[in-house]
Amino acid sequence: MLNFETTVQDSKSYGDLTLSEVEPILKINLRSNKREFSTKIGKLLSIIPPIEANTSSSNEDYSILWLSPDEWLIYSNNKISYEQQNLLEENLFNNISNTNQGSVTNVTDHWVMINLKGSKIYDLLSKSSPYDFKNFKMKKGSVAQTLLNHTDVILHNIDDNNLNLFVRRSFSEDLWLWINDSARFL
Amino acid sequence: MFIINCPYCGERDQTEFSSGGEAHIVRPKQPTELSDDEWAEFLFMRKNIKGIQFERWNHSHGCRKWFNVVRDTSNDKIHAVYKMGEKPPVNK
Repeated sequence: MLNFETTVQDSKSYGDLTLSEVEPILKINLRSNKREFSTKIGKLLSIIPPIEANTSSSNEDYSILWLSPDEWLIYSNNKISYEQQNLLEENLFNNISNTNQGSVTNVTDHWVMINLKGSKIYDLLSKSSPYDFKNFKMKKGSVAQTLLNHTDVILHNIDDNNLNLFVRRSFSEDLWLWINDSARFL
Repeated sequence: MFIINCPYCGERDQTEFSSGGEAHIVRPKQPTELSDDEWAEFLFMRKNIKGIQFERWNHSHGCRKWFNVVRDTSNDKIHAVYKMGEKPPVNK
């Protein structure tokens, strides 16, 4: 696997608001519409991919985000080395892709994960997102795919006033600059 | 600007979607037997109604799924949303 230098590599704090890029985190995209897929994932990771829209399921090590009725994103809750990441990817690939149960794609270098913490994160996001955060912020574990400053993002509410934002690598620097610029005026 | 109720994700702003034009256009079964005019009719000619129109939409910045929308083009009021392959809930 290619080991890119991440684009952001930074952590900033504006009063109550803390922004930091988190890496190395494993991210794997799963696609399947087969019936046995869920139980297979359950056996491998001891966590079942959520069926309900805009939700996620987590255990100690991993979170699975619902992206679409037949698409999920797995990411590790803690930093893990590239060697471990490759092992897990291989395990999933052999059990799912090779048995024709779905597709496993390693998107570790495709998404950049930024952690946002603080009471003003929703003020910050609402500055340039068409999404209504009313229900999102109430429900722990909710997931939203939307636009932020014209850039596609995936948001995962991990706790009160604490969320993970995934942005595509090529847009990450631009979004990071925009987030920092906007955070100054909160 | 209007809100579209995506059948998979729920209510979202129109900016997250992209329009895919008129829905329920059936591809001719034997394209080789058509004249150029008939083929062009299928390929390019679309209605441009003022009023209720059946359209395809894609939630391109969300779940990336296609679905159908019944929309009044004169006031952007959405009368129904239904998944691909389903029959329109209102008469066409």
